[in-house]
This record gives sequence, structure tokens and C-alpha cells, in this order.
Amino acid sequence: MNQGYRWPLVGLHWLTLLLIVVAYVIGSLLEDMTLSPLKLKLYAWHKWAGMTVLFFLPLRLLLRLTERIDHAAGLLRWEARASAAVHGALYLLLLLVPLLGWLQSSAAGFSVVWFGVLPLPDLVGKDKALAEFFKELHEGSVNLLVTLVALHAAAALYHQHVRHDGVLARMVPWLRNKP
Amino acid sequence: MKTLFVLLMCLAPPVWAQDWKLDAGKSQVQFVIKQMNVSTEGGFRRFIVHASFDPAKPEAGRFRVDVDTASADTGSAEGDDEVKRPAWFDSKAHPWAIFSAKNVRREADGRYTAFGDLAIKGQSHALAAPFTLTRQGNAWLARGRFPLKRSAYGIGGGDWTDVVADDLEVRFNLVLLP
Ligand code: HEM
Repeated sequence: MNQGYRWPLVGLHWLTLLLIVVAYVIGSLLEDMTLSPLKLKLYAWHKWAGMTVLFFLPLRLLLRLTERIDHAAGLLRWEARASAAVHGALYLLLLLVPLLGWLQSSAAGFSVVWFGVLPLPDLVGKDKALAEFFKELHEGSVNLLVTLVALHAAAALYHQHVRHDGVLARMVPWLRNKP
Repeated sequence: MKTLFVLLMCLAPPVWAQDWKLDAGKSQVQFVIKQMNVSTEGGFRRFIVHASFDPAKPEAGRFRVDVDTASADTGSAEGDDEVKRPAWFDSKAHPWAIFSAKNVRREADGRYTAFGDLAIKGQSHALAAPFTLTRQGNAWLARGRFPLKRSAYGIGGGDWTDVVADDLEVRFNLVLLP
């Protein structure tokens, strides 16, 4: 029960959350801002944070696939299935949300230069209608991601405070070895 | 009658000087700026060209390009609105950016440099614009690019200096019909 994820995976998990929160907060601010130098800076930071999520994803998946934790232990069958489905969907959205943002930026004709130093290729040519289409999909996927993150966090808290089964501690090292 | 004819001949422009018409649909005046280190292309939707030259001897010709500063296409509607404001082009007070070539120098076959003045936002500076002139059917294509500094014309100062680079490039593709 006290087994936990290895620290690189734990680190990437919480780093991803931090980056998503940063990207989400900035993204929501951008919606209501009029153009200003600050807005251009926030656009850049939004894209940089989001692209970082995307860049870390392969490493995260690799680490995750080499874990030997028994996820179904102590769960009912539907619970095991539901958690596997939510985890799968979360990984898929960690891919789709930044990818759709990148597609939108490419189509809008505003390339991404990661942290101002690494120019990323445009995924599609400049096309206003396409940019609008990807914008809708980016927004939609973000909403789905946020909903699932909330569900995911609620489940973790349920494990910790109702089931007392140490599931949360796998991802929170400082909770381990506590009664 | 004869005197009148001679008088008219004197008033008319020299016979070699054709006035060329711009094929606006095939022509572009563009700029490449850098914001947050990202190169971004834009352009102008409306510009007028006055050109009169002999394709065999463009050095002796006259060229003038008037660009409607309110017609900038920055890639986003809010950008288009922004650059009309006083901090940028101040399009209400300065609707036109004008390049008029004073003379043209032949550099090589089909390659020329136009020397003249570029006036934007009430300020005028000397400019040398290299260009190539190539035949396209019965039209001629004048194509070139030159660097420019926003600060030289007071375009987009203030806080914008942090996020939009001072240096930019202007590109032009002008298809001229006889
Ligand atoms: C975890 C990653 C990301 C999250 C959580 C996220 C979140 C958001 C949110 C909440 C919005 C506002 C949506 C709305 O209009 O309702 C937004 C907009 C946007 N995002 Fe992202 N995003 C992410 C990654 C990216 C990436 C990687 C890029 C580009 C490379 C990007 C480009 C954009 C753009 C261009 C907008 C439109 C802003 C506007 O014009 O209003 N996003 N994003």
C-alpha cells in the first residue's frame, strides 16, 4: 500500500498541473483583453507553458508505462475501469489541447518560438477559417480537460479522506508512511 | 493652327514615358515584423502606384508608391485596428505613406536600385530600394525588399518597444501593365 510512483513521474505530474493552471489562467485572461504589449507577452507565455506540457508528455508516458503499480488493487471492477478511462482521456487531452493550440496558432499565421529561442514549425499554412475551426476545438478540448482534472482530483481526495487507501500518497511523497 | 499643335506638343509629356497601370490583384506590399521574437507577415490592402518608364531604360523612369496606412493587414482584426492609432501610423492625421523615387540606378541586367524619399507619419528619410524588373507576358514585375526601422518614423513607440522589434522588412511585388 505504501508503494508510490518514482520521483521523476511525481515531478512531471505536478509540473504538468502547474503548467496547465498557468496556461488556463492566462488563456482565460486573453479572451477578454484588448490588444496591448502585455497581451502579446501573455500570448507568448500561454503558448510556452502549453508547449512544455506537450514536450514532457512522451517522457511522462514512457515513465508511466514502465511503472509496476497495480492500479486495480482494492477497487471494484467499475471503479478500476472508470479510473483507467479517465486516466487515458487525460493523457489524450494532454496531447490534444496543446496540439490544437499549436494548430490554431499556425493557421492564424502566428508561429510559436518556444521561450523566444526555439522556433517551432508551422503545422498548417495560414488560413483564417481553419484557425477559427481549431480555436473552437482548442476551447472545447480545454473545457473537457478542466472537467476531467476536477473529477480526477475529486477522486483522489475521495481515496484519501473516505477510503483511506493511500492512493493519493502514491503521487504525494510527503503523505507516505503516515497513518 | 500649326502653332497650337506645336504648343500642345510642348505641353504633353515626352512620348517614351508610358504611364503604367498597377495590376492590384497580383501586386503586394508586405512587411515582416518580429513580435516576441516571432516573425510575422503582414501587408497593405490598398496602395497606388504611379510609374512611367521605358522598360528598355528604367533608369530614366519615375516611380511613386502611395500606401494607405489604414489598410494594414496584421493578421488579426485587433492588430489592424491598433496600427491605425496615433501610437502607430496615426492614420487619421497621416493617411498615406509615400515612397517617391528620385532616380534609378542600373546595377546589372534586370537589377536596379531606386533612390528616393520615404515619408511616413510626417517624417521623411532617404531610402534606397533595390528591385528586379522582369517581364511577365505584357506586364512587368517590379520586386524587391528593404529593411526599415520603426523608430525612424515614430511608429509604435512606448511599451510596444519591448515586444515588437524595431527592425522590420518591407517587401513589394508590383505588377505593372502598359
Ligand atoms: C495545457 C495546455 C493549454 C491549456 C490548458 C490552454 C488553455 C487555453 C484557454 C483556457 C484558452 C481560452 C479559451 C477560450 O477562448 O475560451 C486558450 C486559448 C488559446 N490558446 Fe491555449 N491552452 C493550452 C495550450 C496552448 C498551446 C500549446 C498553444 C499554442 C501553441 C495555445 C494557443 C492558444 C491560442 C492562440 C488561444 C486563443 C486566444 C484568443 O485568441 O482568444 N494554447 N487556451
